[in-house]
Amino acid sequence: MSDVIRRLRANAPRLVPALILLALVVLLLSGCETDTPQNTFAAEGEVARKQRDLFYWAMWPAIGVMILVIGGIIVMCLRFRERDPNSLPPRQLEGNTPLKLTWTVVPAIMLLALGVPMVAMIWDLGADPSPDAYVINIEAQRYSFSFIYPEIKDAKGNPLILDGLQDPHIPVGKQVAFHLKSNDVIHSFWIPRLGGKLDVVPNNDNVLWLKADKPDTFHGECAEYCGIDHATMKMLIHADAQEDFDKWANEELLQLNATPAPKPSKSASVTPTPAGSATIAPTPTATPQGTGG
Amino acid sequence: MATIAAPRTSPLAQALRDTRAAAEHNPILNWLATVDHKKIGVLYGVSSFVFFCLGGIEALLMRAQLARPGANVLTADEFNRLFTMHGTTMVFLVVMPMSAAFFNLMIPLMIGARDVAFPRLNAFSYWTFLAGAIFLNASFFTRNIFGGELGAPDGGWFGYAPLNLRAFTPGHGMDFWALGLNILGIASLAGGFNFIVTILNMRAPGMTLFRMPVFVWMTLVTSFLIIFAMPVIAVALFELTFDRFFGANFFNPAAGGNPLLWQHMFWLFGHPGVYILILPAFGIISEILPTFSRKPLFGYPFVVFSGIAIGFMSWGVWVHHMYTTGLGTVANSAFGISTILIAVPTGVKVFNWMGTLWGGSIRFRAPMMFAIGTVAMFTIGGLSGVTHSMVPSDYQQQDTYYVVAHFHYVLFGGAIFGLFGGMYYWFPKFTGRFLNERWGHVHFWLMLIGFNLTFFPMHMSGLLGMPRRIYTYPSDYGWNLWNLMSSVGAFTIALSVLIFMINFLYSIRRGKEAGDDPWDARTLEWTIPSPPPHYNFAEIPVVHSRDEFWHRKYQEDAQGNVVPVIAGAAHAPEVAHGDGDGHGGAHGDGHGIHLPSPSFMPLIAALGFPFIAVGLIYDYALVPVGATLLIVGLYGWALEPATEEE
Repeated sequence: MSDVIRRLRANAPRLVPALILLALVVLLLSGCETDTPQNTFAAEGEVARKQRDLFYWAMWPAIGVMILVIGGIIVMCLRFRERDPNSLPPRQLEGNTPLKLTWTVVPAIMLLALGVPMVAMIWDLGADPSPDAYVINIEAQRYSFSFIYPEIKDAKGNPLILDGLQDPHIPVGKQVAFHLKSNDVIHSFWIPRLGGKLDVVPNNDNVLWLKADKPDTFHGECAEYCGIDHATMKMLIHADAQEDFDKWANEELLQLNATPAPKPSKSASVTPTPAGSATIAPTPTATPQGTGG
Repeated sequence: MATIAAPRTSPLAQALRDTRAAAEHNPILNWLATVDHKKIGVLYGVSSFVFFCLGGIEALLMRAQLARPGANVLTADEFNRLFTMHGTTMVFLVVMPMSAAFFNLMIPLMIGARDVAFPRLNAFSYWTFLAGAIFLNASFFTRNIFGGELGAPDGGWFGYAPLNLRAFTPGHGMDFWALGLNILGIASLAGGFNFIVTILNMRAPGMTLFRMPVFVWMTLVTSFLIIFAMPVIAVALFELTFDRFFGANFFNPAAGGNPLLWQHMFWLFGHPGVYILILPAFGIISEILPTFSRKPLFGYPFVVFSGIAIGFMSWGVWVHHMYTTGLGTVANSAFGISTILIAVPTGVKVFNWMGTLWGGSIRFRAPMMFAIGTVAMFTIGGLSGVTHSMVPSDYQQQDTYYVVAHFHYVLFGGAIFGLFGGMYYWFPKFTGRFLNERWGHVHFWLMLIGFNLTFFPMHMSGLLGMPRRIYTYPSDYGWNLWNLMSSVGAFTIALSVLIFMINFLYSIRRGKEAGDDPWDARTLEWTIPSPPPHYNFAEIPVVHSRDEFWHRKYQEDAQGNVVPVIAGAAHAPEVAHGDGDGHGGAHGDGHGIHLPSPSFMPLIAALGFPFIAVGLIYDYALVPVGATLLIVGLYGWALEPATEEE
């Protein structure tokens, strides 16, 4: 037993980098796994792609520094280990000012190099959606997202409402502007392969725009803890080519006109307001409702 | 000193004196009435370790549930309550009080003092903490737990509005949470003030600020963070309490309340809070690394100033917890840059720790293993922090397991590893014995492997799109392997903690005898006997340099080589005579040193809080009972003499 421990102890410093390397290899391999429907590396939209590329821009230097620091620690532990337990203490080096200034200033410059593209992208992705973006109103409630299509209206002007039982569709190749509104607590609207999340905050209506590259089916879910069944608050979004999307919209419209007009949803008449994502001081823009749950 | 208090003859005074006399002799009453910083430190340490085990069991239950997709170990409701309690427990009942244990045990010894500035306030701080902690955990019983209904809060440790309101989290769980955290905040505030005053006023003669050990510095910075951060969350919790109990509308969206107000206040506390958790551990390893490298801390002023800089900057980064709430481009850019920049002073610390190893003569004893582990693991946590300080990529990572991985590398890999290092390092000082060295190494390697096995895969599950706080997940999302690894790792950590506990209980009685200065250390606490006498220093030392004790043992010759100081040579330790506190006549046996007498008043005052809190929830009749206890305790405290006349 003690022999095993001693051998482990002697070899452990060499095991650590091996373990890290193994983890990295597995990390890279797993990126190629096919059945990862919420894989943030497998971007299929402009927003997700930009965010992934920015992440690489930070991740590779971070891995480099990690190998440098942990490798450095291991090398120093091996090189400067005490060889004679009865030896006197080594020279009492208290510091080296140029060295200390270097490792203050160089990381600061490196970090600012991360900051420049970061700020640029915040403003790029934070811009208002383009005027020709396809608008969908999202109403979140425990535990579903409702998709409301203001551009698909029946004869009486009622929009198409998909209340979580039917899968929503979006058009590809153009911006889709999701106007996010909560009917109860905070949720977060997230379709990983299309782009990062944005919270659905009561009294703070946010707008998130995403853009799908090609027709596909996307998994999304609520990313902010919202109560007992938070884990099941999921959605499946079909991105269609424009003509397929129009066909789907027409079918839905026919069905909408055929059924007797449903009781208008309390909020279905709320016109989309492009507030939220670009305002700094959040102001209530919509009449709060449905918080009595 | 002995005759400062006016003679008292009233029956009440006599009764008080009798209870104090009893406290001197009865071992249980002795602990209940103690105002000795060392005993209070032990109480803090033992209590926080018990809660560490509780929080760990909560984590194990969650990892058992998440080990495979669609498992049925826990229901959704149970899972939600457990992750709420796990987070709350680990932050408020483990890392903060365990750091407080080290403040209590070490600060007076490291600055050459006989106690803290306010010994009874110190006792009050501990009893209030314990009352709040037990109260918080009593929430498990707010429902019929034996009938399979777990009580406990279910709003997350962050308690986001409006989910924290009665409308969405009915039941008393979140009531216990809000009131319990406020009680704990009082305890932290009392401790924070106490240590600021102690460090600023009670240092031994000659110990200037820049001769203080780094642990003392980090305690000072942490204490300032505590006294400024705790009031912020206290305000938020009071508002929440008013919303829940009295129908106020601070956070109620239906009445125009803004839920983001809660997040701003919570994280304005919460981010300095992160540094309240990590800076004490940084201080501990800044003591361990020099001792076992056998050379001074590299770049002492840089380490100190970077600690202060972190303290200041921690107030300007809270929005990085809120990037995805839609605060807008200006806010996200500003806080993105400030978050990136806080990595600079943090990096400075890591590099200076590496500089301490450089050119050393490193002894790989158990405390050193944990200290090196802290540097390495914290580095990973810091770097993953930089990657998701990048606002747009954080839009993908926020609220995923990537963030869980990040802060466990910081708070477990950083804080918990550092605190364990402190336990191995100072155990001999308080028991006179070593913790078993071999089992210490087994503990370290097992914990290091278990820790990385648990939390490294979480980077992956997070980047593969797994959100936090979900009690189950489908089998076809590519998350299965990573979650299984995390679960196996969690049980490995538990095994390592078990080994530590056995080692601790064994070594406390049977461990190898250590002597006064077992590590050839550098600071004042090692100049006194192990375990320290109740008065700590028979004679208050005079400090001539940083690493005072080292300079009493060694000196450098003209070439900079180290040679031992010959016993009885020129540099014989000097002591302060007539230090203005009436201790001048004390001799080596401690005779004639007056320490504050034990007092039950802090305990009585602290007992008032849970009564008030339980009363608010269940029956207002209990509120005056609690208030009476509090007032009686405080009055008795004010009126009883601090030191009993002889």
